[in-house]
Amino acid sequence: MSDVAVKQARPKKKSEFLRVLKELTKNKLAIAGICLILLEVLLAILAPVIAPYDPLLMNLSETFQRPNATHLFGTDDVGRDLLSRILYGARYSLSSGFLAMVFGVVMGVIVGSVAGYFGGQFDNIVMRILDIIQALPGMLLLIVLASMLGGGFLNTIIAMGFGAIAGNARMIRAQILKERTSEYIEACQSINCSRFRIIFQHLLPNCISPIIVGASMSIGNYVVLGSSMSFIGLGVQPPTPEWGALLSDARNYIGMFPHMVIFPGLCIAITVLAFNLIGDGLRDAMDPKLKH
Amino acid sequence: MGRYILKRLLWMIPIILGVTVLVFTMMTICPGDPATTILGSLATEEALAAKRVELGLDQPYFKRLVQYLIDVYIRFDLGASWISKIPIISEIKVRLPRTMILSLFTTMLSFGIGIPLGISAATKQGRWQDHLTMVVAMVGCSMPNFWLAMMLVLLFAVKLKWLPALGIGTGIAGLKYYILPAVSNFATGMAIAARQTRSSMLDVIRSDYITTARAKGVPEKSVIRRHALKNALIPIITLVGTTFGNMLGGALIIETIFSIPGMGTYIIGAVGNRDYPVVQAGTIFLAIVFSVFMLLVDIAYAAVDPRIKAQYAAKGGAKKKAKEAKA
Repeated sequence: MSDVAVKQARPKKKSEFLRVLKELTKNKLAIAGICLILLEVLLAILAPVIAPYDPLLMNLSETFQRPNATHLFGTDDVGRDLLSRILYGARYSLSSGFLAMVFGVVMGVIVGSVAGYFGGQFDNIVMRILDIIQALPGMLLLIVLASMLGGGFLNTIIAMGFGAIAGNARMIRAQILKERTSEYIEACQSINCSRFRIIFQHLLPNCISPIIVGASMSIGNYVVLGSSMSFIGLGVQPPTPEWGALLSDARNYIGMFPHMVIFPGLCIAITVLAFNLIGDGLRDAMDPKLKH
Repeated sequence: MGRYILKRLLWMIPIILGVTVLVFTMMTICPGDPATTILGSLATEEALAAKRVELGLDQPYFKRLVQYLIDVYIRFDLGASWISKIPIISEIKVRLPRTMILSLFTTMLSFGIGIPLGISAATKQGRWQDHLTMVVAMVGCSMPNFWLAMMLVLLFAVKLKWLPALGIGTGIAGLKYYILPAVSNFATGMAIAARQTRSSMLDVIRSDYITTARAKGVPEKSVIRRHALKNALIPIITLVGTTFGNMLGGALIIETIFSIPGMGTYIIGAVGNRDYPVVQAGTIFLAIVFSVFMLLVDIAYAAVDPRIKAQYAAKGGAKKKAKEAKA
């Protein structure tokens, strides 16, 4: 009986994650964003089932068809069905955005946490290298990186992720510097924990949440960057139906056949909008102070 | 303050040298053989070898790097394009101003429209002005600039025929060629500026000195203009630098759509042709422009905010005092 009394008396401590999730589900716009992204992911996964045509199948007797009953989004300059290409393109666009984010976070966290924990000369050198990388506007760095690695799906992801390392590393380093002197780290050091274990098992879990939020907010940004790269011919190579590549194909026919430009662009814009809505909701949920 | 500026200027030297080494190294790692790109795939092995010697590609990496650094920073010679043979500096002289006009124009548009939007949203918090601004900002953030560019071309150049779709003009009349490129690039910057202004205004409006101003009977307009805005705009200044960077990067893409012969078309074209000297020189120049702009923004920030100014003064003062104490 007394046990029950004690349990009731003690306020139940909710986990931070659940609190954020609860806050997020209150935000209607964020929910709309999540639904949109889930829908797109579903469509991308089911593309082989839903797509009415093969996205690479050329049909020279049906070129430049405007949207109609057989081709809902019309066809392109070599008669490929645009709806099918957009559905398959979602696979490339969504996954490249997500993977670039993951790559950037993982690399940034490794660089930033090691530099922040060890400090001293090592930290100094790493930070100066990051200064140099950040002296280039992001898009320019991306162009140079993409030209170094060559085009292609994987290389675009690496280039975009690499571009994000500097920013992520700086953020995590600042967090680590704050946490490094706390008592629990001192306790770890006193029981002779390895440095690897201190950084990755004790420090990181306490520092990583702002990075995760920042990163998830940036996926939309990567979707745009990825499509920009394919648009200028440095990203995913034709005939792969990436959304930016579709726009690049369409640019010469913009006056005559605007449907080729409108649909892929709308897809990019809606995807980015959805990610931004989620990001906004997440930020508000993490930090109620920001919610005005 | 002077010491701070000098320190920042000196600090730019290693950064720009670092950028040079970084880009040079990246170009060395680049796959593909420039000699084959220049001479075509039908060239004989001897011709290719001779071309590599001519371009200096037969030399080891380190030797080429040192030679490049000497050429650029001691002899001030950026070299010539491998493809067109035109000296790079003469191309940059013509192209850089165009990219600069476009980026500055878009940066100005971003803040010129974003800040008033943000202010009206903050002062009318929760009303339709606020909601409209947030929707505009959200949509602006989400539209890829190159797609917006194509849509604007479709509407204003193809359908309405109000503005030219391609190329550049000369003189004042030539400015109309920059309208569509600038408008298509500024949406993101405007959205960020509007959101930042709104949240920073809201912070300031809640502070005690605004309540005091209202309590002593200052008219609302004057409270917003003279008391709130002045302080709310300080954090916005830091945003100018990063926005300019974004606009500069965006301009590189936008140029390719509107066929503007600026730095973007120059660098992206050179990347495709494996024209390394052009990519290196172009990147270095843009890095210098970006760094100088960031420096100017920092100085402006320090100059506008009396607290930061006081910090520098205090630091200098403290050092002087310490020196005097030692003496």
